Amino acid sequence: MAVFAALVAGIVAVFFAGVMLLHRSLYVSAVSLLVVLLQTAVLFILCGSPLLGLLQVMIYAGAVMVLVVVTIMAAGEEGARFADFSFPRPLAWAGLLAAVLEIALLLSRGDAPAAVAVDPALQAQLGAVLFRPYALATEAVTLLMFLAALAIAPRREAAS
Amino acid sequence: MSLTAVVWAATGALFSFGLAIVVLRRQLLAMLLGLELMLAAVNVSLVHHAGMFDDAEALAVVALVIAVAAAEAVVGLSLILRMRRGGRGADAALLTELQG
Repeated sequence: MAVFAALVAGIVAVFFAGVMLLHRSLYVSAVSLLVVLLQTAVLFILCGSPLLGLLQVMIYAGAVMVLVVVTIMAAGEEGARFADFSFPRPLAWAGLLAAVLEIALLLSRGDAPAAVAVDPALQAQLGAVLFRPYALATEAVTLLMFLAALAIAPRREAAS
Repeated sequence: MSLTAVVWAATGALFSFGLAIVVLRRQLLAMLLGLELMLAAVNVSLVHHAGMFDDAEALAVVALVIAVAAAEAVVGLSLILRMRRGGRGADAALLTELQG
């Protein structure tokens, strides 16, 4: 059943990626990307990595998509042509139906929702890898995120 | 049908759609969304690889890619907002200052 759940998640993700490509409204594209990211989080969980699935939901589908939607709303009059703030009702129903179907497929099996047999120590090894051989890369990414936070800080106007 | 086939099909299709969005759509925001879609597609195949071969390094790479993508989105969105406020629009075809 977990493979069928992965199949449903993949089909829904590809369908909404197609909506992103074809729909004119940036708002619909952003919400469709949100659905795609949630479906990829489901695929992460089914591939035996619940931690990264949770990170995907929190960082991508949570923080980044909120930023994108706020940016579209702050676009002003020029962006109004592309920002129709109404989501097509059939698409919303399709996303909701897919979520219900995936949950039903996963719960029908009754055990851990992973389609592959993953070593339980793998998630524990992630921390060890991040802070031993990849410590420099982890620090570099931390610095990059700090600089990105500075990019959205309000610019102080020069005193005239 | 195996999980590997499903994951590779989804990865290929999502990456192709992301690439098509970056190439075909002209709004900067839509291009940024296409980039995020491509990164998410690559992450799916990496997580599947990590699960199949018990490779913790692939999971570490995915965690780093997620963090870099979040930083890239923040910087990209702030640049787009600054360009819009500067009156230069959000159409990629209008940004010609760096052309020779």
